[in-house]
Amino acid sequence: MVGAFEQALLALMIFVIMLGMGASLTPRDFWLALKRPYGLMIGVVAQYGIMPFLGFLLITLLPLPQAIAVGVLIMACMPGGTTSNIFTYFSKGNLALSVLMTVTSTVTGVILIPIILVIYATALELEIPRENIIITLVLLLVPVAIGMGLRKLNANVGAVTEVMGSALALFFILFIMISWVPRNWQFLLTTTPATYVAAIGLGLFGMIIGYGFARALRLHPRNARTVALETGIQNGPLAIAIIAFTFAGDEAQSYMAVPALYSLFIVIVSTLVTLVFRRANTAAEQKMPDSLL
Amino acid sequence: MEHPERPWTAFYRAGARAEIAAPAYRNLPDLIRSVAETYGRAPAFTCVLPNGMNGTLTFAQVDEMSDALAAYLREVAGLKQGDRVAVQMPNCLSFPVAAFGVLKAGCVLVNVNPLYTADEMARQFADSEPHALIIVDMFADKIPAATAGHPIPNIIVTRVAEFLPAMPRGIVGLVQKYWDRSVAPIQLAHVRLPDALAAGRAHVAEGRVEVDGYHQGVTGDDVAVLQYTGGTTGVSKGAMLTHANLILNMEQTMELIEGVEKGKEIALTALPLYHIFAFTVNLLGFYWLGARNILIPNPRPLTNLKRAFENYRITWMSGVNTLFNGLMNEVWFQDTPPRHLKFASAGGMALQTSVAQRWEAMTGRPVLQGYGLTETSPVLTFNPLGKTREGSIGVPVPSTEIACLGADGTPVPQGEPGELAARGPQIMAGYWKRPDETAKVMLGDWFLTGDIGVMDPDGYVRIVDRKKDMVVVSGFNVYPNEVEDVLAAHPGVLECAVIGVPDEGTGEAVKAYVVKSDPGLTAEALRSYCKEHLTGYKVPKRVEFRDELPKSNVGKILRKDLRAEALAQMAAE
Repeated sequence: MVGAFEQALLALMIFVIMLGMGASLTPRDFWLALKRPYGLMIGVVAQYGIMPFLGFLLITLLPLPQAIAVGVLIMACMPGGTTSNIFTYFSKGNLALSVLMTVTSTVTGVILIPIILVIYATALELEIPRENIIITLVLLLVPVAIGMGLRKLNANVGAVTEVMGSALALFFILFIMISWVPRNWQFLLTTTPATYVAAIGLGLFGMIIGYGFARALRLHPRNARTVALETGIQNGPLAIAIIAFTFAGDEAQSYMAVPALYSLFIVIVSTLVTLVFRRANTAAEQKMPDSLL
Repeated sequence: MEHPERPWTAFYRAGARAEIAAPAYRNLPDLIRSVAETYGRAPAFTCVLPNGMNGTLTFAQVDEMSDALAAYLREVAGLKQGDRVAVQMPNCLSFPVAAFGVLKAGCVLVNVNPLYTADEMARQFADSEPHALIIVDMFADKIPAATAGHPIPNIIVTRVAEFLPAMPRGIVGLVQKYWDRSVAPIQLAHVRLPDALAAGRAHVAEGRVEVDGYHQGVTGDDVAVLQYTGGTTGVSKGAMLTHANLILNMEQTMELIEGVEKGKEIALTALPLYHIFAFTVNLLGFYWLGARNILIPNPRPLTNLKRAFENYRITWMSGVNTLFNGLMNEVWFQDTPPRHLKFASAGGMALQTSVAQRWEAMTGRPVLQGYGLTETSPVLTFNPLGKTREGSIGVPVPSTEIACLGADGTPVPQGEPGELAARGPQIMAGYWKRPDETAKVMLGDWFLTGDIGVMDPDGYVRIVDRKKDMVVVSGFNVYPNEVEDVLAAHPGVLECAVIGVPDEGTGEAVKAYVVKSDPGLTAEALRSYCKEHLTGYKVPKRVEFRDELPKSNVGKILRKDLRAEALAQMAAE
C-alpha cells in the first residue's frame, strides 16, 4: 500500500464511502439527534470513551511492539464505520440510530479524536502525527456534505450513492486482501498471537461492552444491539488511509497491521454477532399481515 | 344545499352538491384523457422503493403509455371491446399504465391480488375468462398452474422497478434476481410490457389507429371492472362495476373532501391498488385531483414507508386501521410524524376509536372514516372534515340513501340497529354470471350490505357489526366490534379479535384473541378491565393470547378463521 496508485485508489474509496454516508442523511436527522441528546451522548461515550480505553487496555495488557501499538491506538480512536449500518440492517437493529451514531461520531471526531489520541499516546509514550489526522478528518466531512446535497437534489442519485458506498465498504476488504495481505504474508506468519488478539478483540470486546453499556442504561434491546455493533465496528478504511498518508515505506506496513487485520476480522465477528442478534429479534418484531402488499 | 328528506346534507361542505345527477365523463377513458390534458407535464405517479429509489410518470406519460398499451391489446393481441384483461401486480408505475390501457382499449379490467396462490388465481381466471394477463415477474411462476385449465392467450410481464431510471432499475433487478431470488425465469411465451408498449406505439405513431375509437361505444352502463370479493364468505364472485359506478363514486367521495387543492396534493398510496378502496379513492380520485400519487410497492415492514415520508411532503394518505396503528408503533414515525398532512382517510375495516384518537394526537390531523363495500364501488358514507362523529362511519355521500332494515326487510324504528341497505348510483350492476348470488343481496334497487348499523336522526351511521359476526349470549346481542374497541384501548393490548363460540350455558359465549404489547398482561386482568367498561354478558368469557392474528391481504382481521379454529379446537376436546 505504498504505491501512489494505491494511495489514490484508497482516497477515492474513502471518498465514495463517505459520500454514501452523507447520502443516507437528511438535515432532519441532525435535528432529531439534538432533540434526543441522550442517544447522542451514549454514542459519543461508546465511541470515544469505551473504544479508546479498550485499546489502551489491550496495549497495556498485551506484549505488543511499538509500531503495532500505534496501530491499535489509531484503530481504537476511529469513528464508527459505515459497515455498521449494513450489519445493523441485517440484525434488524435501529438503522436510523446506527446511521446517526456513525455520522455524529465522524463529525465530533474532528475535535475529539486528536484530543483523545494525544491523551492516550502521552500515557503510552507513543508518537502520533496529530496535524495529519486532523486534516484527514476535516477533509472527510466534504464528501459527507456532498452526499447530503446529492440526496436532496435527487433521491435516486442519493439512493444509488448510498448503495455504492455500502458496497464499496465491503469491497474494501477485498482490496486489503489483494493489496496488503500478500505483501505482509511473512509478517502475518511471524507476528505474535498478541497482534491477532488485539485486532480481533478490539471489535469483539467493543461489541460486548457496548451492549452491556446500552442495557445498563435501559435502552430497548433493538437499540442496544445497534449500539453494540456501532461501538465495535470502527472505520477501518479511515485508519488505513490516515496511516498511508502519514507514514512511508516499511514503517507504514507494520503500523497498518492491526487496522488491516481488524478490517478483515471485523466482517467475521460482525456476521456472527448479527446472527445472534437476528435470532433475538425475531420474537420482538411488530407483526404485519403477510400480504399487505 | 339541504335536502328535505336527507338531513345529513347539512353536514356537507359549503357548496357541495347533494345530488350528482350524471357522471361528469362519458366513461373512464374520457376522464383519464381529460385529466391528462389538464395536468400534462405534472408528476402523476411516483413509485418509491424502501431505500428511496424512485421513478415518476407524468400525467402526459401515463396517458401516452396507456394509449400504446390499448393499441397493443387491440391491434397486436387482437382483443375486442368487452374482453376481460386480468391485471396482477403490486403498486408500481405499471399499474396505472395497465389499468388505464385496458380501459382505453374498451376492455374490462379484472383486478387480481398478486399474492393469490395458483389455485385462487385459477378459480378467478376460470370465472372471468381473461383474454390477456398483465402480471409482475415476481409472481409469474404461478401462471402455468393457474392457467392449466383455462389458457390465457396473451401474457404481458412487467416488474416492480418498471419505468424507473436505468440505474435504480438495474440495481433493483440485480437484487431481485440474485439476492432475494424473488424473480424466477419465465417459461411461458410472453411479452415484456415495454416491448408491448413499443409495438402498440408503432400503430399509434403511424396514425393507423385512433385509440379513442376503441371506447367510442363504451357507455356509463358498460362494465369497467370485475372486482372479486367474497373472500370472507367463501364463494369468490366478481362484482360488475360500471364506468358510471366508478366515476360517480369517485365524484361522490371527492365532493365531500374539503381543503384540497387541485394539482397540488401529494398523496401516499400504501394500500394495494387492486383493492377497490385504493382503486377508486387513490387511483381514480387522486389522479382526478391532479395529485402526485406516491405508490408504495410493499409497505411491509412499515419501515419501507420511511423514505417516502422523508422525501415527499405527503399531504394526504389513505389507510386501514392496521396501517395507522402499525405506523404509530414505529419509532421513526413517532419522532417525525408527517408535517404537511391535511388528513388521512380510513376504510376497508372498522377504525378503532383509540387508534383514531392517538393518530390525531400524534399528527395533529384527523383520520376521516368512510364505509363501503366492493359491491358499492366502494364508498357509501364518509365523515365530513371537522364534523367527524366518534365511532361513526359518517353520513351518506351525495345521491345515496341508507336504510336500516329488520329481519323482515322493512325499516326498523329510528335509532334501532338493523341491516344497512343502500341505494345509489354506485351500486354494482350485479355479480358476473351469478344472478342467484345477485338476487341474494338485492332487495329491489336496495343493496343489502350484511352489516348491522344504527342511524342517528341527522344521518350519521354507526356500524354495530357484521350480521354474521354477531354473538348471541343468552338472547342478548353482542357485537364483537364493541368489545374489540374496549380491548384495543387497553395499553397492554396490541391487537385483538372477538368471536362467538358455542357455550352450553349461554348458547354462545364471547371469546377474545389478544396479541399483547405488555408481556405481563393476564387474562384475569383483561377481564376485570372489561368489566369496568362493558355489561356483564359482553365481557369475554374466554381470553386467548396469540403471537399474531390471521389477516386478509388488506390487514383485515379474519374472524372466520378464528371461528373455524375455535370450533375445531372444541370438537377435539
